[in-house]
Amino acid sequence: MQKELKTRQVCLFLIAFTPIAKLFIMPSVLAGKANEDLWICTLINVVLDFFTIASIIYACKNTDKNLTQLLESSFGKLGAKFIVGIFFIYFILKAILPISEQADYVKLTLYTLKPTVLYFLPFFIVAFYVCTKNLRVLGRSADILWLFTIIGFLILFALSIANIDFGAILPLGANGVKKIIDGSYTTLLWFGDGAYLLFLMGEFKFRKNDGKKIILSFLISSLIVLLFMIIFYGTFTYISHRQRFAFTEISKYTSVINNLGRFDYIGILLILFSNVFALSVPLFFASKSLDYILGFSKKWISPLIVIGIQLFILIFLNEYYASVENFLMSKINWFFLIVGNILPALCVLLTKKESKKQYAIEKI
Amino acid sequence: MPNKKIHDINTKRMKIEKTLDKNVNFLKSTLNSEDVTFLDLKIGNKNAVIVFINDLVDKNSVGELILRPASQTKGELDKTQIFELFLSPEKTKVTEMKDLINDLLLGNTILITDQIDCAFSFGLKFFEKRAITEPPTSTVIKGPREGFVESLPVNISLMRRRLKSPDLRFENVTVGKYSRTPVTLCYIDGIADKELVNQLKAKLSKIDIDAVLDSSYISKFIGEHKISLFKQIGNTEKPDILAGKILEGRVAIFVDGSPIALTVPYLLIEDFQSASDYYNSSYSATFARQIRLFSIFLALFLPALFVSAELFHLQLIPLSFLLTIVNSIKGIPLSPSYEMFFTLMIFEILNEASVRMPKYVGMVVSIVGGLVLGETAVTAGIISAPTLMIIALSGICLYTVPELEQTFSILRILFLIIAGSFGLYGLIISVALLLTYLITFENYKTPILAPFSPLIKEDLKDTFYKGFLLEQENRPLSLKNVNKRRIKKKIDGDK
Repeated sequence: MQKELKTRQVCLFLIAFTPIAKLFIMPSVLAGKANEDLWICTLINVVLDFFTIASIIYACKNTDKNLTQLLESSFGKLGAKFIVGIFFIYFILKAILPISEQADYVKLTLYTLKPTVLYFLPFFIVAFYVCTKNLRVLGRSADILWLFTIIGFLILFALSIANIDFGAILPLGANGVKKIIDGSYTTLLWFGDGAYLLFLMGEFKFRKNDGKKIILSFLISSLIVLLFMIIFYGTFTYISHRQRFAFTEISKYTSVINNLGRFDYIGILLILFSNVFALSVPLFFASKSLDYILGFSKKWISPLIVIGIQLFILIFLNEYYASVENFLMSKINWFFLIVGNILPALCVLLTKKESKKQYAIEKI
Repeated sequence: MPNKKIHDINTKRMKIEKTLDKNVNFLKSTLNSEDVTFLDLKIGNKNAVIVFINDLVDKNSVGELILRPASQTKGELDKTQIFELFLSPEKTKVTEMKDLINDLLLGNTILITDQIDCAFSFGLKFFEKRAITEPPTSTVIKGPREGFVESLPVNISLMRRRLKSPDLRFENVTVGKYSRTPVTLCYIDGIADKELVNQLKAKLSKIDIDAVLDSSYISKFIGEHKISLFKQIGNTEKPDILAGKILEGRVAIFVDGSPIALTVPYLLIEDFQSASDYYNSSYSATFARQIRLFSIFLALFLPALFVSAELFHLQLIPLSFLLTIVNSIKGIPLSPSYEMFFTLMIFEILNEASVRMPKYVGMVVSIVGGLVLGETAVTAGIISAPTLMIIALSGICLYTVPELEQTFSILRILFLIIAGSFGLYGLIISVALLLTYLITFENYKTPILAPFSPLIKEDLKDTFYKGFLLEQENRPLSLKNVNKRRIKKKIDGDK
């Protein structure tokens, strides 16, 4: 049977989409928690994600089934729907802050003359359109957008590198283990990318060495994030926690800016472009989950519900933004840890059972 | 409603009768037109009639190949003897009235003889046709200059001259209730996907339309998306380009009366490839393609970016340039977006007028429109000089890829309106929407954005980078073709 994705597209998906959302307000949040050790907090979350992704890759080796087929064969249709329902909530919650950050960014940084959230609202049209398509849309957009993401970061890194004080991130671990752990725990919602990979499982033909390719792509995407954290703190040092939209700030002190205008905006715009799709990814998986749970006959109903929820949160809960942020970053981190890391990692157990079943059938 | 008699012939499958008068009377009543000529003659002892349409046949050939041999016959001749009497290289026996009328309308000469239950059809067509010239839409500095013409046989001969392979196939279909236009599929057996050929044949035979006046009519029917701003079917006016496309596994469609051949499946990148790219060095071809890409970017986005920067994002513009802009827009009564839109509309009007206008006034229009109107508008303070310059640059850039000019000029206006209303982020969103549309857009199972999305590494050698000929060992993997390899890299004996 023809699979929706190719392994290459899964790899490019990780490079194109997973690093971007982490670079808006997360760096300043981390700087507030752990100062110069922000990159160590990031590293801890990266290691967590690494183990999750490694277990999913191991699971892919054992089975050709996708997530829902695997869940159905182990827990029945109702059990599968329940677990997918948990992921639906996860994706909805995971999307809230990045979308709010982006809306704020657009309002406050791009439209300084007339700041209003209205300029951001057309994003939901794209998100809706993406959600109505099948998985192929993610693979094919990743095929193009990985280049935008990489070039964007290269421009920003190249323009900012001259102004960095690498000494600012030393000494290592100066803030103590507690603060580092607290930083990692607070920012869990921006990680947990294994959940995406879990939903891509079984949708591409897994061949020998594909695991290595996926791991390598994940490491590249993590390296971008880690490098960014170091550059960010190296640029702003002890005032880093005040730089809310980090990635537009790091490169604006280069001398090129004086001669050519905001040359760094080329990089920023490329990343913003990729981010339109990156922000749509959790919404996409949320709508696919909802579709699976409720089995709508029309493909636009679940995207409409998902987009409606996000739009409601963005517009009506905007006044309570601080409370929403606090809730997501401090109250339900355990949920992000369980659903984003532990549950996907546990699927290895299901595939082990699956491969044993297969072995028994073959023996008979 | 088409001619009822012809409809009856088609449905009842009327046979040609043995009585000459009956057949002739039937034809006279069915084809009641003064350009249909009926010429009486005798073949041996038998009475016969030649029927042809006046201006579609070569009368000298009719005289030499039919009338002269007929006048030299004596006695009783049977069906076979009569058929062998005539030396015309293109002759067939026709037994059904439907085929007789079809042949007649195609320009054949028909001979009906008394006491014989069939007619003889002779291909003695002759009509004026345009000479083979270089097509104005794809001129080259280096390379073949021949272009297709309106005559289908000439176009087929141009293809045969280029691809002298027994695998080159032509398959005919007639389309159009009134026009009965011959449409020919052309492909290479063993390279083109048979499923695609069958699919196209089925689609062509299902077309129900009064007349096919140009190949563009056919493209509307065979495109899989009924509403689309983007082209779904490729086209070319040059036999060398078409031969190249067929060799990649595409199927071509010729329509009698049209100098434009259609090709299926179509990839967006095709329009960035020019014939001359393949006749020049890889370096210059790559450079030319990069220029085209950059020009299209400027053509599409420059007006929109300028307006959004002026209205919403002044921080993007360097200070010295900002001061120049401020000085130039001082006193302009229109807002930047209206000003740009207004200027763009004037450009589009001039563009439309210059295409339709007779050649000798065209020069005057370009001087009046381009120089006088533009210069005066700036001096009068209606539009600013940067706006005029941006529209001019954008207009010129669009013509680096002339095939996409219509689509992109509509997109340019849309982007301008969006940038004027929503600024840069609106522009990003609209491009993202367009990208989502394009990456999921497929025609005959071929994604239009291939080989970029889905990414096909091997095919990237003939995109914005033009690889060396020997690098392109395989036919494009983006297309469904049967036989993949087209170049054997090593000549026998090479190390």
